[in-house]
Amino acid sequence: MSAFPILSRFQNDCHVKVVEAEPAQSIDALAEACAYHSIGVHVKDQPGKILRVRPTSDNDDAAPWPREMTVAEAGIKYFDSIDIYFTDPGAG
Amino acid sequence: MALLDRSDWYDIARDTNWTPGYVPREEIFPPQLSDPYGIPVEQWETFDEPYKVSYREYVKIQREKDSSAYSVKAALSRSKFHDDLDEGWASVLKLHYGAVALTEYQACQFQARMVRFGPSPSMRNMATYGMLDELRHAQLQLFFPHELVSRDRQYDWAHEAAHTKNWAVLGGRHAIDDIMMCRDAVTGTIMVSFAFETGLTNLQMVGLSTDAANMGDFTFANMITSIQSDEARHAQLGSPAIEIMINNGKKKEAQQAVDVAFWRMWRLFAITVGIPMDYYIPLDQRHLSFKEFMHEWIIRQYDRQVRDLGLETPWYWDLLADDIENHHHCQQGGIWSWRPTVWWNPPGAVGPREREWLEEKYPGWNDSYGTYWDVITDNLLHGREEKTHPECIPIICNMCQIPISNRPGEAWKARALQLEHEGRRYNFCTEPCRWIFTTDPDRYKHHLTIVDRMYSGEIDPPTLDNVLTYMGIGVVSEGGRDGHDYSWVDGFRTQAAE
Repeated sequence: MSAFPILSRFQNDCHVKVVEAEPAQSIDALAEACAYHSIGVHVKDQPGKILRVRPTSDNDDAAPWPREMTVAEAGIKYFDSIDIYFTDPGAG
Repeated sequence: MALLDRSDWYDIARDTNWTPGYVPREEIFPPQLSDPYGIPVEQWETFDEPYKVSYREYVKIQREKDSSAYSVKAALSRSKFHDDLDEGWASVLKLHYGAVALTEYQACQFQARMVRFGPSPSMRNMATYGMLDELRHAQLQLFFPHELVSRDRQYDWAHEAAHTKNWAVLGGRHAIDDIMMCRDAVTGTIMVSFAFETGLTNLQMVGLSTDAANMGDFTFANMITSIQSDEARHAQLGSPAIEIMINNGKKKEAQQAVDVAFWRMWRLFAITVGIPMDYYIPLDQRHLSFKEFMHEWIIRQYDRQVRDLGLETPWYWDLLADDIENHHHCQQGGIWSWRPTVWWNPPGAVGPREREWLEEKYPGWNDSYGTYWDVITDNLLHGREEKTHPECIPIICNMCQIPISNRPGEAWKARALQLEHEGRRYNFCTEPCRWIFTTDPDRYKHHLTIVDRMYSGEIDPPTLDNVLTYMGIGVVSEGGRDGHDYSWVDGFRTQAAE
C-alpha cells in the first residue's frame, strides 16, 4: 500500500494540513513528517519536548499511539485526522 | 397632456395578472422553479414591495447614475492615482473585482428567474429592475478594472476569475450556485435579496465606499456608491416574500433558507471584507476594525430585521460571534502563506504598529495569531524566505471551500469536523457548514474541493506547478507575492537594532 493523505492537526497551528503518511512508517516518523510542515513554518519549536500522536477526538483526550507502532498497526486511514502535540520527556 | 401621479396607476399596473386558460398554471410556473411551497396565488398577490418605482423613473435615475459613474471613469484614464498606489489597496481592488464582477452576471440571471417564475406579479415587476441593475453592475465592474489591465495583469481576473478553477473562485462559485443559481424564485429571493443583500452586501458597500474615499480612490468610491443605491432598492424583494411564507405556515422553511444563505455568504464576506479592513488598508486609513463594523452594522441590524419579520435569531449566532474574532485572521495568515495561489499581492501587514492596533481591536491577538506571525517574521528577519512558503496544503471545508483553520497558539482551536455520508468522508470547518450539508446531502455530496481534486486524479500529477496551472495561476496572470515586499518586517529589524 502506498502513501496516503492524513489530516495533521498540529498543536498551536492555525491550519489543519494535509500530510502524506506511509503504512510502514512509525508513529514517531509520522510526527516528524507533520512537524516538518508546522514547526518553523507556522509553529514555534519547543526544544527538548517530545512529539506524541493521537487520534483527534472531541475532547482532546484520546490516548496517544505507542511511538514505535507503525501507521498500519495504528489503523490510521485515508484522511483520518490526527493530533500531534508536545509532551515533556518521560510523560505518558 | 398632464401625466398621472405614479400612485394613481401603480397598483393596478403592477398587479396585472391573469388566470391561464389554455395550460395549467403549474406548467407556466413549475413549482421547482417558482414556488415549491404551494402557497396559493392569491396570497402571492398580496406581495407589496416597500420601494416603488416606475420604468420611466427607473430609466431616468439609472441614466443619471451611469452618466456620473462613467464620467469619473473617464477621468481615471488621465489620473496618476494608480501610479503610486499602495499595493494593499490594489489588493482590495483586485480581490473585489475578481470575486464580484462576473458574479453580477449570475445575479442578473437569478433576477431573470424571478422575472419569469416569480409567483407574484409585483415580484416579477421589481425583479425586472433588479435584473437590469445587476447587468449594469457587471458592466461597470468589468469596464473599470479593464483600464488597469495594461498596468497590471492581475486586474484581468475581473474578467477571467469565474472561468478558472482557482480555489478561491471554487469557494465563491459553490456558494453562489447554491443560493443564487440553483434555487427556485421564492427560496432564491429569501436567500439572496434578504440574507445576502440586505444582511451583508448593502451595508458592506457603504463601508467599502468610505474606505475608498479615505484612500483617495474616488473612482472606486463613486462606482460602489452607484451600485449600492441599486442594491438598497432591489434587496427589498426578500422581506415581503418572507412575510407571505410566514403567514402561510412556512416559517420553518423560510428560517432555514435565511440561515443557510447568511452563513454561506458570511464565510466569504469575512475574506473579501474582513481581511481588507484589518490588513490590506494601510493603518492610517482604517476607520473601523472589521469586528466593530460587523457588530455595529451587521449583527445588530440584521438580527433586528430577522426578528421584526417574525423569524428567529439564527441558531449559530454565538458561533458567528466567535467566527468574527477568528475567521478572517486565520485566512489572512493562510492566504498570505499560500500567496502564490491567489491573483492579488496580499501584504503581511503585521509590523509592530499594526500588531499594536490588532491587539487593541482584538485583545489576545498577540498570544494567538501573534505566535503564527512570530515564526514567519523570524524567518524573514533571518533570511529564510523559503520557509514562509509551506510545502503542503491545508485541508479544505467541503461546504465553504475555505481552508479549515482556527485560533492558533495555546487555544489551538483548528479542527476538521468530519462526517461520513454514503461511504465518503467529508471535512467541515465549523458546525454551521456541517449543518448545511445535512439539510440536503444530495445537493452537496458530489462536489469536490481543490484537495479532493488533487487526490481524485483530476489534477494529475498533483505537483505544485500543475496545481497552480489548474487554478489559472501563470495562465491569467502571475500569482501573488507579499504586497509590500516584506517591508512590514523592517520595524522589527529596527527594534532589534535598538
